[in-house]
Amino acid sequence: MSEEPPTRADGAGETVESGPTPTTAGSRFGRVAVGTWLFRAGVGTVFAFLLAPIVIVAVTSFGDSMVLSLPPETFSTRWYESFLDSSRWQRATRNSLIAAVGTTVLATVAGTTAALGVRNLGGRAEGAVLGLAVLPLLVPGVVLGSSLLVFLGEFGLQQTYLAVIAAHSLWATPLAFSVVRASLSRFDPRLREAALDLGASPTRAFVEVVAPNIRSGLFAAALIAFVVSLQEFVMTLFVSGRDTRTIPVLAWNSLRNSLDPVVSVVSTLLVLVVVLAVVVGSLVVGLERLAADT
Amino acid sequence: MCGVRTVVELDGVRVEYGELVAVRDLSLSVRDGELFCLLGPSGCGKTTTLRTIAGFESPDTGQVVLDGRTVTSLAPYARDCATVFQDWALFPNKTVIENVAFGQKMAGVGKAKRRDQARDHLDTVEMGDYEDTRPAELSGGQKQRIALARALAVDPDVLLLDEPLSNLDKRLRETMQLEIKDIQERLNTPMVYVTHDQEEAFTLADRIGVMNNGRLMQVGDPETVYDDPVDEFVESFLGNSNFLSGRVVGSGADRRDTARRAVTVEFPGVGAQIQIATESGLTPGDDLTASVRPEILELSPSPGETPTSPDGGTQEGTAERRADVEPDTTNRMALTGAVSDVVYRGSSIRYQVDIDTGEGAELSVERSVTRAPDLSTGDRVELSWDTAAVYYFGPDGARVRV
Repeated sequence: MSEEPPTRADGAGETVESGPTPTTAGSRFGRVAVGTWLFRAGVGTVFAFLLAPIVIVAVTSFGDSMVLSLPPETFSTRWYESFLDSSRWQRATRNSLIAAVGTTVLATVAGTTAALGVRNLGGRAEGAVLGLAVLPLLVPGVVLGSSLLVFLGEFGLQQTYLAVIAAHSLWATPLAFSVVRASLSRFDPRLREAALDLGASPTRAFVEVVAPNIRSGLFAAALIAFVVSLQEFVMTLFVSGRDTRTIPVLAWNSLRNSLDPVVSVVSTLLVLVVVLAVVVGSLVVGLERLAADT
Repeated sequence: MCGVRTVVELDGVRVEYGELVAVRDLSLSVRDGELFCLLGPSGCGKTTTLRTIAGFESPDTGQVVLDGRTVTSLAPYARDCATVFQDWALFPNKTVIENVAFGQKMAGVGKAKRRDQARDHLDTVEMGDYEDTRPAELSGGQKQRIALARALAVDPDVLLLDEPLSNLDKRLRETMQLEIKDIQERLNTPMVYVTHDQEEAFTLADRIGVMNNGRLMQVGDPETVYDDPVDEFVESFLGNSNFLSGRVVGSGADRRDTARRAVTVEFPGVGAQIQIATESGLTPGDDLTASVRPEILELSPSPGETPTSPDGGTQEGTAERRADVEPDTTNRMALTGAVSDVVYRGSSIRYQVDIDTGEGAELSVERSVTRAPDLSTGDRVELSWDTAAVYYFGPDGARVRV
């Protein structure tokens, strides 16, 4: 240690080759490096376990036999063809898209209006609303699903698209709300005031000034709502019917009797859609950030 | 010339934020075509007052009248006023011309027409070349101009400016002050201008309203407010005066004027007593503050005077000096002291002088460099002033007229 100050003062440390300093530094580096590598290996293992099922499903979807085997003996797109030919799967795909689009619209609008409304509350009232807003995320899907079934049944709404969208929005809205709220916290409220001051009604002020300035947040909220709806299974199982069941519900139904290789295909496609959505989303948000910073 | 028409009238306005009272019982009227400055320290309620006029705050009591119309409960977009915000609040998602045309767009004016009008307003603020620029690419001064053009473009009954220049550097600020003044005189748009900078207020204002602690202390044209402050706060806020706190030690009838009373006041800070004649009912024991402005102070080097007995002799010296001052019919107060600090401030020099007598108060004198006496720290000086030019303020801060 005592050797360091003079080397630094020199400004040309590399020429001064002092004995003890490199060795101590070297061993310290060594210990740090081992730790870093151990940490990386641990994280890598966890990720491998998390991602392995997805990889296996994707690989098996290209198999050729009725029996799921790993690795498949021969590769083919046979199950993709039967997926495209199946009217049941087409219907489920359509239902999933209807539910996802409906949930996206409902959750984004509800989440955004809630986030706008909470801004001026402040203090205890805001805390209470925030707590209530995230409550649906903490209730088990089975509980929500069964109570929704009873509740919607009262109005004859069970097994309708509305029921599915309502169930999905129950989870998507709190998430959309949180995302938009975070986005609004970076928005300068003076901009909205300036718009109102220049004669814009609150609605026009939102359309002209607020929304364009939080659009990456709105986009992220919509994306999350879309993905939540696409993959939701438990509540949908309760509230959907034959004509409204989504891909995850049909997949579960198909797997109850036998291992249907089409499920692998569907799962692979679902994962692909979600990954695409996330990539597009992060690209758009990333570009937004870049544009905002320059 | 109907200068009596008022465009903004606040009547008994009170704004509370929970426990905090931001504005209390404030009444003021702004006349057509004038530039009215609301001047006060931060937190005095001047911005809240402006926001009440704009409609962003709703008063707990009182009325807001704009151009003869009561707008107390109307939303901002239903009022014919426009605000220039402190941080300009330009819409980052819109180009310069879209920003300026925004108000007309909201009013339903067609695209071609509102763009033409916006161009005119951009020319007014000399920003015609920046139509398609985004606000993020502009400098502070340019943003300021766009904000001004955007507000002017809605042709408001009154333009509200909330410390619009406080984020600019000094030189740009002074240029912009003159430009705003120039635009105001050209367009004759009444303006309410909020600032904490007294120089800015004096440069711009036709009339100034000085605010403190949610109250409007004094309203008047700049000369009146400066020459005739009604309150100790106004006096302290408008300049760098020297305040001497004193106490009334005796009072009696004035022989010449029965309405007045002769009051003897002792200033322990400088160890001096003075007599003033006033109509206010000051009684012995009352606090009285004297404001001695730097410009009435005469500063000269002591003629060959060496410090008299540094210790012990003060008591005697004070008595001697009192005897000197009191019977003096020319009404001049003269004190001696030593220069404790000389501060160069560019075009002027400020001297701090420790007074020998009393508790050794420190007075400050500012002189422009050209007429500055050649003094350095430690020099002996004589300070004198005309006691009639001193302002006195009573225990409640109100002016005591003499």
